[in-house]
Amino acid sequence: MTSSLSLILIFISSLFFSGIVVRTKSIFSGRKGPGVFQPIKDILRLFKKGAVYSETSSFIFQIAPSIYFASIIMAILFIPFGNMPGLISFKGDFVFFAYALALGKFFMIIGAMDTGSSFEGMGAAREALYSMLVEPAFFILMGSLALFTGHTSFADIFASLHFGSHISYAIGVLATFVFIIIAMVENSRMPVDDPKTHLELTMIHEVMILDNSGFDLGLIMHAVNLKFAMYGAIIANFFLTPGYEWYFSIPIFIGAQVLFAIIVGTIESFEARFRMSHNSQFIFMLTSISLLIFLGVLLMLGKIV
Amino acid sequence: MDFSGLIDLLLCVVGLSFFLIPFLPVRFKALTAFGFVSIVTLISSYLAISSLNNGAIEIVVNGGLVFKNITLRIDALSAWFILIVNITSFTGAWYGIGYTSHHQATPAQLSLHWVLYVVFHASMLFVCMVQHTFAFLIVWELMTISSLLLILFDFSSPKTIQAALNYLIQMHIGVALITVAFIIGYQITGSFDFNSFAATFAQGNGKWLFLVLFIGFGIKAGFIPLHSWLPHAHPAAPSHISGVMSGVIVKMGIYGILRMVLYLKNDLVLIGEIILIVSVITAFYGILNAAIHRDFKKLLAYCTVENIGIIGMGIGIGLIGKGLGNPSIEFIGFAGALLHTLNHSLYKSLLFFSAGNVYLQTHTRNMEQLGGVLKSMPLTAFFYLCGSLAICGFPPFNGFISEFLIYTGLIEGIQLENIQFSSLMIVCISFLAMIGGISLLTFTKSFGVIFLGSPRQEIAHQPKEVGRFMLIPLALILILMIGIGIFPNLLIYPLSKVVAVFGSGIVPLARLDELFVLLSNIGIASLVLFIISAVIFILKRRTEKVQTVAVSPTWGCGYTAPNTRMQYTSKSYSRNLTKLFSFWTHEKKKYKEIEKASIFPRYRSFQSYFLDFFEAKIINRGIKYLLRFTDYFTFIHNGKIQMYILYGVFFILVLIVISFFNLF
Repeated sequence: MTSSLSLILIFISSLFFSGIVVRTKSIFSGRKGPGVFQPIKDILRLFKKGAVYSETSSFIFQIAPSIYFASIIMAILFIPFGNMPGLISFKGDFVFFAYALALGKFFMIIGAMDTGSSFEGMGAAREALYSMLVEPAFFILMGSLALFTGHTSFADIFASLHFGSHISYAIGVLATFVFIIIAMVENSRMPVDDPKTHLELTMIHEVMILDNSGFDLGLIMHAVNLKFAMYGAIIANFFLTPGYEWYFSIPIFIGAQVLFAIIVGTIESFEARFRMSHNSQFIFMLTSISLLIFLGVLLMLGKIV
Repeated sequence: MDFSGLIDLLLCVVGLSFFLIPFLPVRFKALTAFGFVSIVTLISSYLAISSLNNGAIEIVVNGGLVFKNITLRIDALSAWFILIVNITSFTGAWYGIGYTSHHQATPAQLSLHWVLYVVFHASMLFVCMVQHTFAFLIVWELMTISSLLLILFDFSSPKTIQAALNYLIQMHIGVALITVAFIIGYQITGSFDFNSFAATFAQGNGKWLFLVLFIGFGIKAGFIPLHSWLPHAHPAAPSHISGVMSGVIVKMGIYGILRMVLYLKNDLVLIGEIILIVSVITAFYGILNAAIHRDFKKLLAYCTVENIGIIGMGIGIGLIGKGLGNPSIEFIGFAGALLHTLNHSLYKSLLFFSAGNVYLQTHTRNMEQLGGVLKSMPLTAFFYLCGSLAICGFPPFNGFISEFLIYTGLIEGIQLENIQFSSLMIVCISFLAMIGGISLLTFTKSFGVIFLGSPRQEIAHQPKEVGRFMLIPLALILILMIGIGIFPNLLIYPLSKVVAVFGSGIVPLARLDELFVLLSNIGIASLVLFIISAVIFILKRRTEKVQTVAVSPTWGCGYTAPNTRMQYTSKSYSRNLTKLFSFWTHEKKKYKEIEKASIFPRYRSFQSYFLDFFEAKIINRGIKYLLRFTDYFTFIHNGKIQMYILYGVFFILVLIVISFFNLF
């Protein structure tokens, strides 16, 4: 039962995550803003609505959001909670994690292509390119953590991640930074993509889902929340050292999620969107940061002096 | 059990096809050939499976004075490759029945094609079995020539002839290198048997000899920069042949490399590192080029280059593991390479066959002219989608399993003591991740542009679904793929037998059991993913039942007159990637600058195409200099017969002088 704890917690935090982001943004811009649960209420309303399908689209368009949502739930099943492994855990499960997420993306992309809209094709092309550029950073990071801890599954890595020397703090901070940026890129948020923009030409994620409506749109919207909460859980895991009791670690977890949401809101408030052509450089920079982490791990293990 | 009888039977079946197929009426030729291929498949699979179960089979044939004793040995490695060859050749022949029936071919053409198909299948099987250098070269050559003539099925097109010539020449450079290495090997040991290579490689220059063999077999396999025949030959061949070529002919190169790796004893780590690095670059280069091309068969051909790279990565990891005496990494590396060989032959033939269906119906290979084919050919689209998912390595398909094994090998490699391996492996992991990302881009592009949206141009032929008979082999492949994806654990023990052939150290049984559990976990996880998707989809359907569902045109973002030409094209889809890697993706444009006097609209043409970096920059440039050099000797080739006789006399004189003075 304990292994489903992370699933439940991630689900709970997904309910208020975008609410906090929106609230933070509105406070920074001097508005009162909607309630924390307003986004989830919007999604619930979408679930009850009917749908409009494009006459160009086929069954791909109909199944794509379901598979996308399922892929994220699948990925969440791997996330551990402190020293309690996730529902599914095996050696090298982060490879499965990455490929399951990519599968969801594959379907979203072809779902967008299915409408035959030039704008949605544009969003699809960008999404494919940027998610390709993020991959190496994630794998180098997980590879470094695997080298550091000697384990290859999420559960074992986070269970045995000890914070000892100074460099390990640096690694923790850098890893958190990389995960925050990965979460921003994967969810098409501010420095890379602006969810609030009104011009289709500058959108990435939003332009892909122009034709989705009703239940499907609800799934896609909530998938964003879940994805954020999932990355938040990974980040929280860096700070949940094993051995702590649940009454201690659950507040830390929720606190980390809230903090993460506030950080996202802050970044969104103060950062401007990059020019589309600069995005690839920015995203690829993540790879070099994760290479720094790799070097730090090598230093700590005494492989290089 | 007398296995030599079975070999004789196999040869008899092939011989019979020579005399039977040409004399049959046109509509029975393909069916009969398929029958022959099935019989050959049955016999050789029986041999392979019994060798996997009961250990290597060895048959010695007396080859007379020149060949001496020819050894046919079926060990686990041969057996594995025989099974791969059989699966793809069988489905290819089945698919080919329908495919050739759509062609307006003369009876002679069909006879030649199908007789050669049987010969070609058998020659690949013998390549896997013969372990006698001299005889090996002959069956290898037989395989090359028969496949060349199979490519030439549509010989009326000059492009096909050009591609075939390119193939012929490049294959013979490879054969020349292999022959040289075999001759050197014979000089050192005086034996034709492959086992003598163990002694040959143990010599001081063993690694250089291996390098020559690697290049020789690497041309067949398509490692860069030796891959340039692939993107020409695959589109030129009819689709059932492209499927078989990509599925198994290039794998014969891999077989050759693996066979030679078997006998390596020294410098394993160095050679492993070289193969790993070459393979990573091969894979990356292959998928990058696949992403930019618009001809969907060319795209698939470059994708073959990518997968050869991934297989090579497995071989490299295995060699490093073997060199370091780490049986776990060795096992995972070789098992990953072998499994990926099988997986790639499955999904690539599925992709080529379904792409063949599209070509058959639309008569174009240019993706920019297609679109919305899914509505007229839903089953073909489904098969292509499954193939795409598998080739990108997504669960629950088979591609994920072998890529997972290779990832596992790399991750274990990171944890090795030496920093050199940690750094190498982390670079490889990041490249493999990027390769995965670009293949997602490539296959969303090809599936999206060919099958989704609306037709981009009026096509003369309205596509319609091909007959069920042609789709059955595709379904068979798909069943195998999903089987491997969901029950990968069942393959571990057979694979361990194949890898044991390489074995310096035998993999501990506990480790195998651990892998068995790991892979069964992956199978379960894949199944869970499928079930979650299904549940969500059913939920969605139920809520939609009570709601209103409307159908209307695609939202045009306020633009009121959208047309189908405005859809994102394959070129625009991959343009950002092309720009990002412009040092490797050479785009050429042909157009006339607009001059001052010509600002008024009139008909203009604009053309853009991509050149292969290695072909355009290195190979063709080298050939240009070579031709310029040989131009100096054209005076020898002057067309006067008297001069030619004089050359002959001169040559004989030189020979006499040499032998008289005992110069050599």
